[in-house]
Amino acid sequence: MITLKDMKKVFNAGKPNEFTAVRGVTVGIEDRKLTVLKGPSGSGKTTLLSIIGCMARPTAGRVFLDGRELTSLPERFLTGIRRSTFGFIFQQFNLIKGISAIENAMLPAYPTGRPRAEIRRRASELFELFNLGGKAEARIEWLSGGETQRVAIARALINAPAVLIADEPTAHLDSILSREFMDIMASLKREGMTIVMASHDPIVYESPAVDRIIEMRDGGVVGEVAS
Amino acid sequence: MLHPTVIALMVGSFLLCVMLLISSAHGVRILRKWDLQSGSELQLELERRTYLVSMLLAYALGFQLVSLFLFIYTADDLHRLFVGAMCAAGTLNVNPFGYPTLVLKVVNFLFAAVWLIMNYADNRAHDYPLIRKKYGYLLVMMPCILAETVLQTLYFLDMKPNVITSCCGTLFSEESSSVTSGIAALPSIPTKIAFYTATLLTIISGWMFWRSGKGGHFFSVVAPVMFVVSVAALISFISLYFYELPTHHCPFDILQREYSYIGYLMYVALLGGGATGIGVGVLMPFRRIESLSSVVPRLQRLLALISSVLYLGFALISTVRMLTTNFRLEGY
Repeated sequence: MITLKDMKKVFNAGKPNEFTAVRGVTVGIEDRKLTVLKGPSGSGKTTLLSIIGCMARPTAGRVFLDGRELTSLPERFLTGIRRSTFGFIFQQFNLIKGISAIENAMLPAYPTGRPRAEIRRRASELFELFNLGGKAEARIEWLSGGETQRVAIARALINAPAVLIADEPTAHLDSILSREFMDIMASLKREGMTIVMASHDPIVYESPAVDRIIEMRDGGVVGEVAS
Repeated sequence: MLHPTVIALMVGSFLLCVMLLISSAHGVRILRKWDLQSGSELQLELERRTYLVSMLLAYALGFQLVSLFLFIYTADDLHRLFVGAMCAAGTLNVNPFGYPTLVLKVVNFLFAAVWLIMNYADNRAHDYPLIRKKYGYLLVMMPCILAETVLQTLYFLDMKPNVITSCCGTLFSEESSSVTSGIAALPSIPTKIAFYTATLLTIISGWMFWRSGKGGHFFSVVAPVMFVVSVAALISFISLYFYELPTHHCPFDILQREYSYIGYLMYVALLGGGATGIGVGVLMPFRRIESLSSVVPRLQRLLALISSVLYLGFALISTVRMLTTNFRLEGY
């Protein structure tokens, strides 16, 4: 269970261009459920997702993961939690050109110190699961949009995280690929993964796989819908 | 005044003081406002800032450790400018601020080392268990470092080349009435017995604590005692074997080229052994803090090992010299 308490995030505090991205958000995200943060651009979805995933620190408020407080942790502890607990899928996928698809997927596992053979075995399993077996050695820039998307998912899962965080994952996909993405999310949820997504794509928040929709506007939560 | 090491010491000490004043202001806020249960803006700001302040302070206090040796080197190097001075002992005596500065530098070396050890332990826990203690300790340490900087500045500014100073033979003779003279006049055989007993007790208890984790309290007491006994032994009889003179007790001449700069090695071993040994005792009350229960015992055992090895090194250097020189102290 992820709990956010009185969350606030201010950018450029004290400067003329001060901007409050998240204001006073208190919300709980249940385990093994798919939760969508829904709202227009600038509503604070991405900022909130970054705070949940320990990629940004809030200005005020606390994040609890299974009762353990995360926001006060020094960076050396946060890095380990981020690496082992969360998998990230970014809007632009952020895959690295010039190296193979499987090397891209393996990258987040290198700092864990696991043997390379074990990491490669795990990446190959994920590639088989997502029908990418034949593309493992292909450079990332040679892959189609759907293949790129699945490599990004494989990379997010390489460290077997408990929570998958996806920021506008269908923003650059057509409808077919977006539905395919949601099918993969549904299967991951069935396997017990907690998924948190930020999206304003109807294909995402109208998907039957979604358990809960948290509506955001102007940095605050304006409504919740349980599917 | 324009000697490069004097400039380095002055600039370094002033920067350290500025850093300490800023850190102390932060420390006061920590002591008054720190509340880990709160998610307030102030608390989160303190958490973020303490990470930066601790890191910068660690570097600044690292300089404090080095500055002791730089100060001794400077005093030794400047002795050629003063009539009557033959080593650092004479240079430190050119005005009333030299020796107080040296004493404060040694005290602050130990203070700084203990703070660094506390900071290291605190940074290994997830919930800042020593945060108030280390900043409270910083507030105690700050006046000593400020006083050292003031004295050091006065010492360097008040150096007058026309002053005829005393050589170490006068300052560390058994006949004068100072504290060092009292140490120099200690009878050699009882002092040797005290030194080797303290060495054996420290090394054996340190080794046992490192191996089994038992006897930490005993080591915490004996390690600082060993430091004091070693300083007394160095002045009382060890130095005599290096100079092969029965009345020359100077602890500074061994820093010179004639003695292969062996003094630096001995002082690093002695001060390092003392600081790490004291660190074991300082950490003792924190073993029961939940988030430190796995960190502190391991760190203490490592510190005890380092302390024992350094003290052993000091004793070995001294003993090898005593056994290989033709000089015989007893029976003189």
